[in-house]
Amino acid sequence: MMLRGRQFQIPVQIPPVKDHLIVLGIESTSHTFGVGIIELNNHSVRVLANVSSQYKPVKGGIHPSEASQHHVNVAHSVVKKALDDAGVDVKSVNAVAVAVGPGLGPCLRVGATLARFISAYWNKPLVAVNHAVAHIEIGKLVSGMVDPLVVYISGGNTLVAIQRDKKYRVLGETLDIPLGNLLDTFAREVGLAPPYVVSGKHAVDVCAEWSSEFTPLPFTVKGSDLSFSGLLTAALRMARESKGDRALLGKICNSLRETVFNMLIEVTERSLMLTGKKEILLVGGVASNTTLREKFKVLAEFYGCRYYGTPPEIAGDNGLMIAYTGLLSYLYGRTTRPEDLTVKQRFRLDEETYPWLP
Amino acid sequence: MATLTPTLIGRGAEAEIYSGDFLGLKVVVKKRVSKPFRDPIYNRVFIESRTRTEAKILSELYLAGLPVPPVFLVDEEAGVIVMGYVEGSRLSDVLGGLAESSIKKIGWSIGKYAALMHNKGVYHGDYTLANIILTSSEDLVIIDFGLAGYSNDIEEYAIDLHLMSRSAEAMYPELAGVFTRSVFEGYLEYSEVGGDSVIKKVREIRARGRYIEREVRKAVLREKYVD
Repeated sequence: MMLRGRQFQIPVQIPPVKDHLIVLGIESTSHTFGVGIIELNNHSVRVLANVSSQYKPVKGGIHPSEASQHHVNVAHSVVKKALDDAGVDVKSVNAVAVAVGPGLGPCLRVGATLARFISAYWNKPLVAVNHAVAHIEIGKLVSGMVDPLVVYISGGNTLVAIQRDKKYRVLGETLDIPLGNLLDTFAREVGLAPPYVVSGKHAVDVCAEWSSEFTPLPFTVKGSDLSFSGLLTAALRMARESKGDRALLGKICNSLRETVFNMLIEVTERSLMLTGKKEILLVGGVASNTTLREKFKVLAEFYGCRYYGTPPEIAGDNGLMIAYTGLLSYLYGRTTRPEDLTVKQRFRLDEETYPWLP
Repeated sequence: MATLTPTLIGRGAEAEIYSGDFLGLKVVVKKRVSKPFRDPIYNRVFIESRTRTEAKILSELYLAGLPVPPVFLVDEEAGVIVMGYVEGSRLSDVLGGLAESSIKKIGWSIGKYAALMHNKGVYHGDYTLANIILTSSEDLVIIDFGLAGYSNDIEEYAIDLHLMSRSAEAMYPELAGVFTRSVFEGYLEYSEVGGDSVIKKVREIRARGRYIEREVRKAVLREKYVD
């Protein structure tokens, strides 16, 4: 699905607006440098552009300063391509939004510096956006969901949340490493990655196809919270014994994937029971995993819920979600002066109130 | 089982719930079911071990006088437990409509019952508002012991309190403060396992979440953190 050119009804409350507005959003929290441009007309928005460039480590994991250098190198061409795609001049943009956290310090600062510059030089209102909130808002926009149980899984986050009293409320989360990080670390340690994702498929998924066998691994669900570190250690220990045995490594990958996804499903089920929500929205980079999407589809059918998993273009980090969430904030008058904009590496989803939430 | 003519009355996170009649008593039949999205091996392991755990702990707590449903029959392989029927509402559905005095009283009892369980070395594992039934006479009954277990580790006890307080925060943010304070008060009054250290551990667990400010995390560990 290409989002460019598509139009969506805004599913949340916004103040009445007379004119149409154009917002440019910048994402640079981690490995992706992205710019999105969105246009507001009455109660709907149109996607004008969504351009990304990803830093891909040659070896090892994400090196924050290398990633930030990548962002600096591509920043100009990504912004230019986005403006060209949108067919607008930077002067006709009404506000600039930027993800200020959570994320990696050096990477966040690239986006923040660029946003401050655009705002100060062309005198554009500046809006700070929480990256996690943006993942959820874009998911709500594209799915049209109003009050879902949110399952947010990526390299940096694993949590289940709902909205209540103008805030996102976290029902369960990882107590140590995030799910995406677990899969990446395992793949790297056993020599399956980098590259972590090849044509939309994660290295652990590719390896899991080498076997259909399954062996139980540590399953650590504490109420609605998850813990993955013991599981990672156990899987790595088994993998070390596999010594190049393809079928055995396949079995470990298959079991690892099955275990983490089941843990996630378990806390999702518990949260569904607690809250009685009838919609499930899957967002974040790992939301594009086909095995997980399939499991969630069956889960939703089982409980008679509506389910939506965000498509890859917006599941992973992107500028569009920052532009859209920036637009919502802007409509509620939440702007920042360039000199006051600071990045926030640890910026929790449940930290601030958002006026458009029920 | 001839006297049982169960009718489906609900579905939990892992089981189908039927009501029936057993020797003239109204009972609940909890049947853990296989999930189409779970590996068959996990289905078997979960169904058997959770049925066994729940039945064992329910029996023990019931005999110790805690407000839990009594167990009449267990079939581990089939994942079935027949237990006493409890009439009432899940606290997660009704807490918001209660007077503050009731909320305090309920919170206090929830803390007290947690302490009594922990004093016996038992943790609940999913101690949330959804797993407390409020009866029409404002008594509480604790249900769903599928994630319960035995442990001497205060971390497991702290997780029970953490889950209860966070489920209140998520569902009823405006009441959560009063409620959680009462839970802690009731807990401290009845705990024989070092209630203070359990409550300190609750704060520590909370600080383990992603993206908690380093200063808060350090302060918690230094014991100077104030709610």
